[in-house]
Amino acid sequence: MKRRNFLKLSASACAALAALELKDKTIFKAAYAKTAATSPQLPGSLGAKEIPSVCEMCFWRCPIVGKVKDKKLVKIEGNPKSPANGPRVCARGNSGVQLLYDPDRIKYPLKRTGERGEGKWARISWDEALDEVAHNLKEVKKKYGPHALAYFDHGASAEFMRDIFKTLGSENYTNEPAFYQCVGPAALAYLKTYGYITTGTRQYVDMQNAKAMLLVGTHIGENVHVSHVREFIQGLQNGAKLVVVDPRFSAAAAKADIYLPIRPGTDTALLLAWMNFIITENLYDKDFVQKHCSGFDELKKAVKKYTLQWASPICDLPVEDMKKAILLLAKNSPHVSIHPGRHSTWYGRGDTSRHQALAILAALFGAVGVKGGLYFPTPVKKGHVSFGCAEEEPETPSKSISEDYYPFASTFGSPTSKIIEATRTANPYPIKLWGINGVNIIQTIPNPYQTMEAIKNLDFIFCEEILPTETAIWSDIVLPGATYLERYDSVYTYDLLTPYLTVRQPVVEPMFETKSSFWIARELAKRIGLKCFNYNNEIEFIEEELKGAGLTLKGLNKKGGIVAYEPNPYRSSKDFKVATESGKVQLSIEDFADEDLDPIPRFVPTPAPPKGYVRLVYGRSPVHTFSRTMNNKWLHNEVPENPLWVNDELAKQVGIKDGDEVVLENQDGYRSWPIKVKVTPGIRPDTAYMVHGFGSRSKALSKAYKQGVSDQFMITEYEDDPFMGASSHRTNFIRLVKAGKVINLPELCPPPKEIPRFSAKKTKTGGK
Amino acid sequence: MSQLAMVIDLNRCVGCHACAIACRAEWAVPVPYRRNWVKRLGPDATPKGLSFTFYPGLCNHCDDPKCTTVCPVDPEERVFKSKSGKTKKLAIRATYKDPFTGVVLVDKERCIGCGNCVEACPYGARYLNEELDDPKADKCTFCVERMAYNLEPACVRTCISGARIFGDLSDSSSAVYKIVNSGKAIRLQSKEVAIGPNVYYIGKDKDILLLKEKCTPHERKWENVKVPMRRGILKAAIRKLAKAV
Repeated sequence: MKRRNFLKLSASACAALAALELKDKTIFKAAYAKTAATSPQLPGSLGAKEIPSVCEMCFWRCPIVGKVKDKKLVKIEGNPKSPANGPRVCARGNSGVQLLYDPDRIKYPLKRTGERGEGKWARISWDEALDEVAHNLKEVKKKYGPHALAYFDHGASAEFMRDIFKTLGSENYTNEPAFYQCVGPAALAYLKTYGYITTGTRQYVDMQNAKAMLLVGTHIGENVHVSHVREFIQGLQNGAKLVVVDPRFSAAAAKADIYLPIRPGTDTALLLAWMNFIITENLYDKDFVQKHCSGFDELKKAVKKYTLQWASPICDLPVEDMKKAILLLAKNSPHVSIHPGRHSTWYGRGDTSRHQALAILAALFGAVGVKGGLYFPTPVKKGHVSFGCAEEEPETPSKSISEDYYPFASTFGSPTSKIIEATRTANPYPIKLWGINGVNIIQTIPNPYQTMEAIKNLDFIFCEEILPTETAIWSDIVLPGATYLERYDSVYTYDLLTPYLTVRQPVVEPMFETKSSFWIARELAKRIGLKCFNYNNEIEFIEEELKGAGLTLKGLNKKGGIVAYEPNPYRSSKDFKVATESGKVQLSIEDFADEDLDPIPRFVPTPAPPKGYVRLVYGRSPVHTFSRTMNNKWLHNEVPENPLWVNDELAKQVGIKDGDEVVLENQDGYRSWPIKVKVTPGIRPDTAYMVHGFGSRSKALSKAYKQGVSDQFMITEYEDDPFMGASSHRTNFIRLVKAGKVINLPELCPPPKEIPRFSAKKTKTGGK
Repeated sequence: MSQLAMVIDLNRCVGCHACAIACRAEWAVPVPYRRNWVKRLGPDATPKGLSFTFYPGLCNHCDDPKCTTVCPVDPEERVFKSKSGKTKKLAIRATYKDPFTGVVLVDKERCIGCGNCVEACPYGARYLNEELDDPKADKCTFCVERMAYNLEPACVRTCISGARIFGDLSDSSSAVYKIVNSGKAIRLQSKEVAIGPNVYYIGKDKDILLLKEKCTPHERKWENVKVPMRRGILKAAIRKLAKAV
């Protein structure tokens, strides 16, 4: 055999080896900035130019640095100066590179040529695209009034364009699926109990200093927000005990000291019984309750009937286990993290109450404003910027689809389900134009069949998008947005345990003909004739925001793109004050009573699965964000599809094996694409689970198309939360179809008489 | 003698896959090859309770690596130098174990891309990068290139929960030394495959049980390399020839 003429290692590797220093354990502590000088010849990402910015692969928005060589982004790392994540980013943060360089990206403005949903487009100019959008906004407003315009928004890209809809006078200028399909009920419950949104985008719960933690349906670890996960793990490392309540053995349950596999839909029963238990057994913080809470006597009376013995058959949990868990939490109070949860649109009726119950439990333990408990935000100052758009709320129509249906909806915008209903039925008024920005509504809102039907009724629909999602293929005009890596947005502040201020700035130039969200909104406003966005570019208003913090962009970048501040999360009993109307933590909420809603949580059961079906629940994969990342080359390679978790005992009874391929059929007769079964003891027999966001129906997404199954297309039945109009997502049931044969699933945990059974309606449109 | 090693703490690991992607980004590892992976295990029953854990894996930089023994490239003498000035002369093939760091590396200049070492690794930690015009074997280097700039391996740097502990097993003050010598850490090896992997795992009993059950190698893959070896060399030769034509 011919041998290769070996001389030596390549110059760079050789240098690397020669410089190895192993004896010192402080080897890695050298300041990052002082290491390799910028030199694209070095191996790996070494020697890259580093540009500080902010991630938006999810909405936790970790500070990052983009590492650029020869004008190409080679790697993303956490900003080493960040007090929250340091040099760390999650799998998705690391994979931003592949969002930027996704070959399927929308490269130019597009105009639909085929039918809506067909995905046939023609390339048009920016002028033509913007003129057409502006013309339609004006026309629809003229013909049907301002409220005929509706805007679906999510994330940083959506913020500027929102002002256009607001200025045009629509009450539907914001209907964030992120609120009405996700955090809404929890956010409302905490806002009313504590006077601030303890959970929404962020959760103010001090897990790293907790002695015990309670998670109800929250699966930290599968839901990855870097600083939040770090605090959770740090708490556990410090010895905190963990109680997890979940029908599924999640990544968080796997780390629990006590795991309670509760019957879905009965969490509030457990929480009410626990409240009654700690009040009856005198395990609550009397001093805190007396000094800082209102409504205790009413609460005590209201929960009296809920005993552990009562809850046991409802929750399908032994009394002893429930007692052990609450005693463990009580023993460690007030330093207990009663996690407020986040995604809370589960069952419609009862969602706000469930999170209110969690909020009350924390107060009964006095676990607020103390180490390990809920804590207060530390506001970080920045300058106020006025774009010259409407600052006042638009005038509400004679019949509002927000406040006239749900008393607490308008705090946050218009409920998504009501927008869709008004678009379908013209009741109470017609909605004829949708603008969509930063959200794939088809894979986000229950009953996508209904959403598509509504879209057919529109005069016009447009979106700003990065990838050709289902929403893009249903749009008339698609505006190609720049990714978060190619644009400025604004100054971001973080008010949790490690407060900081940072700014999003481009790490590379926008690719193709894509444009920044600010540019798009500004150009659009100009064409409509709105006097809006009176800054020439993002840098002008960023400087103004920074000025308010005593900074300049240049100065901030000199500091590594980020400035950290001291936190102020805790309160002494003397200084304890909350921003509710009474100035006290509200254990009973009068605002709710004024609207004939329960001022104190009450157990309202969600119907049990019909015979032959199990409940479909969903969650997250740590490598994916909603339905946004399934086309990402690196993330798709890690987790390309979503198996259906089926209980091992149940699978055995019906002859399903691990890895079998099945089709799901829901209670309305809708069928899924084929999905692989994962047989596991880690899920209850009355429940099946899959990760949300898979099963894209857009052929233009070359990796995501038809990969896995969409939970959203199985969620056709939903109920609105009576407090604020959020839509339920866990009120659907499935059975399996294997090799064309329908398999009815036996009932291994029959519900008690207190829980009614879901009665299947007539099949809607014959199934799909 | 130094031996770089890693301990992965499954109590800290949440299975987020950041390590796998950071490695891919750092070294531009093409999909679907990988130097660094996370396998999700369970939930499954174990004698110590229900477990849902992860197998974050990478090259083990074994004490007795078998991948280096199946390389058909003729050995060549090379002088290795330690930072403290010690030298050691060794005859090495195109893949070898560095005597001063214990890191198993590929000499890309001499690798002929036959794929023998890829076949031989019982952990599946190597790949033949056929995306290259001239395919080469590749694998985790413990990021020795980064260490020259005082940077820890890319997977360690990005690990969101601090689950990866990296250092020198010969340094009694290092965290890896302390953990490994506490007897709490396990290595993924069996009666059949006992080649001294230098990636260790710690965690709850149930998680370690599941990890061992699902991920311990039993197949002495390097012993099967004989036939593929000829095939691999032939393939490499044909590839070269084809390019020349």
